[in-house]
Amino acid sequence: MSEATYQEPRWDEVNRDVLATMLNTGPRYWWLLGISITVALVCFFGPWAYQLYVGVGAAGMNRSAVWGTYLSNFIFWIGLSHSGTLLSAVLHITQSDWRKAIYRSAEAMTLFSLMTAAFFVMVHVGRVWFVHWSAPIPNEMDLWPNFRSPLMFDVMAITTYLTASSIFIYMGSVPDFAAVRDASTGMRRRLYTIFSFGWRGTAKEWHTLGWAYTFFAVFVIPLAVSVHSIVSWDFAMSIVPGLHHTIFAPYFVCGAIYSGTAGIVTVMFIIRKYLNFERYIREIHLDNLGKLLVVLSLIWTYINIMEVFTTWYGGSSFEMEALKWRLTGFYAPLYWEMILFCAAVPLLMLSKKIRCNWKYMLIISILINIGMLTERFIIVATSLPRKFLPDSYGFYFPSGVEISITIGSFAIFTTLFLIFVKWVPSVSIYEVKETLKPLKRGSVEARS
Amino acid sequence: MTTSVMGLFDYEDDFLAAARKLKDAGISDLTLMSPIPLHDAEKVLGLGSSAIRRFYLIGAIIGAVSGFALATFSALSFILPTGGRAIIAIPPFLVITYELTILFGVIATLIGFHVVSGLPAWRDKPYDEQTNVNQFSVSVELGEGKDADRIGQIMSSAGAVNVKQVEV
Repeated sequence: MSEATYQEPRWDEVNRDVLATMLNTGPRYWWLLGISITVALVCFFGPWAYQLYVGVGAAGMNRSAVWGTYLSNFIFWIGLSHSGTLLSAVLHITQSDWRKAIYRSAEAMTLFSLMTAAFFVMVHVGRVWFVHWSAPIPNEMDLWPNFRSPLMFDVMAITTYLTASSIFIYMGSVPDFAAVRDASTGMRRRLYTIFSFGWRGTAKEWHTLGWAYTFFAVFVIPLAVSVHSIVSWDFAMSIVPGLHHTIFAPYFVCGAIYSGTAGIVTVMFIIRKYLNFERYIREIHLDNLGKLLVVLSLIWTYINIMEVFTTWYGGSSFEMEALKWRLTGFYAPLYWEMILFCAAVPLLMLSKKIRCNWKYMLIISILINIGMLTERFIIVATSLPRKFLPDSYGFYFPSGVEISITIGSFAIFTTLFLIFVKWVPSVSIYEVKETLKPLKRGSVEARS
Repeated sequence: MTTSVMGLFDYEDDFLAAARKLKDAGISDLTLMSPIPLHDAEKVLGLGSSAIRRFYLIGAIIGAVSGFALATFSALSFILPTGGRAIIAIPPFLVITYELTILFGVIATLIGFHVVSGLPAWRDKPYDEQTNVNQFSVSVELGEGKDADRIGQIMSSAGAVNVKQVEV
């Protein structure tokens, strides 16, 4: 539907259209859910069980390359999570109305990306039954975790981010849960009565929700920035050539928002097409997201150039060797693929024709995320196996188990998202109504 | 069992006019319901800044103190000297402090939301499902000195499409 032929929905149509996506479920949904669960079991949980049985040697990690695909995927998924809650909070504070149709799904993306990332931590640590050693409690040996380590910063930051994002999305959904309650019967009605806490939409309830939501937004913005800064310190606080850069924190934060925003475009395409949200998710959203992606791509490119420049300008032979290996070594094709997908291809979005075309934008957004997945892989795979003296040089290539688990992680994300669309309105009903013509005598009569 | 008079309105301006007229008539305990947040409705009820701010502030302070205390306590319960650096190291501990400030602040805000808004409210209260779709409602609980007919008249004169008595 083009902007010229766009017809604004009525308020009751918003309820009807959004709730229909939850209450009417066709066979296509069940097929998709079944396939996605099967892929998650076969590609993720199966190989993980195998790795638990034979040991972490099933992965391609070795003596000098002690970090591999699991951690690069972990960063990728954490990065993807930066779209929703952060973008939603920033746009809420800046009162950008175009956020209202897309933010709910974007926030859900945050939540499910974080959960998928958490799986990678568990896969990476090997003996997952000791994962509680990273919790802020004394373990069986009466030892506390070392809070001077960036890895512990990470545990605290991600736990906080997951909690805050869950509360953020839940809080914003309460009025919509009440709409689901009112439109349903039986068990579902009872369930949504509990979910909505008996919400009636009184002025006092709206007033309190408004204040609470704004506070959450204010909290969440610095939190999201801190989360990916901390993830970057996992690398940058080591002295490994190729990782020890002060620019890593902004680099990671920018990359996270970049891949997250591209992820939103992909998800928007899918829910718009398959949940029939053409009247709600429109060209204007695509146009704004496209502009945002161009800006983020330019910042990301600038930081990449600076990373190379500061390495050259610093003149450390170890850093130069690591850089040379990255730019011209075994993984150089991946590096240049990343530059192509994340620095060159997004420039196409300077054209409004491309920016407002759903198919082009879907392709570009997927290419950006392929590039960002590669970026994280390159950071891990070209640094640790290439540090300092040549006798410690090694090589890392992901094993079949790691590749399978990577594929399976996308199935986990898809499964969680598919479950979400049937339990939570994927477009915010009340906030979309706020963007429509108000139900005032003048405006309604003028419209009819 | 209480009885309330509820007026349903198709238009926001009629709904607000009814609320103002009822206020002018000396009825102050109005319940205004709408499908979206309306600042004008909040103004009619005189709702200013929210008490939720205090929850947020207290939560953040407790979080900050807890965060630093947790990091300090764990460092002191197992001394791990590294190159002569401080055992109670301020810069890394500030990161933990910062994260817990936000964590506790967020949780306190959630608690504050429930306390201030009075949710969960499982007990039956006057409500019409259309107010979550495309109508607005004003509801007044009847009691001493409140005449149902007069309240209904005020609502109708302001443009209510339906005035009814609700018993809950």
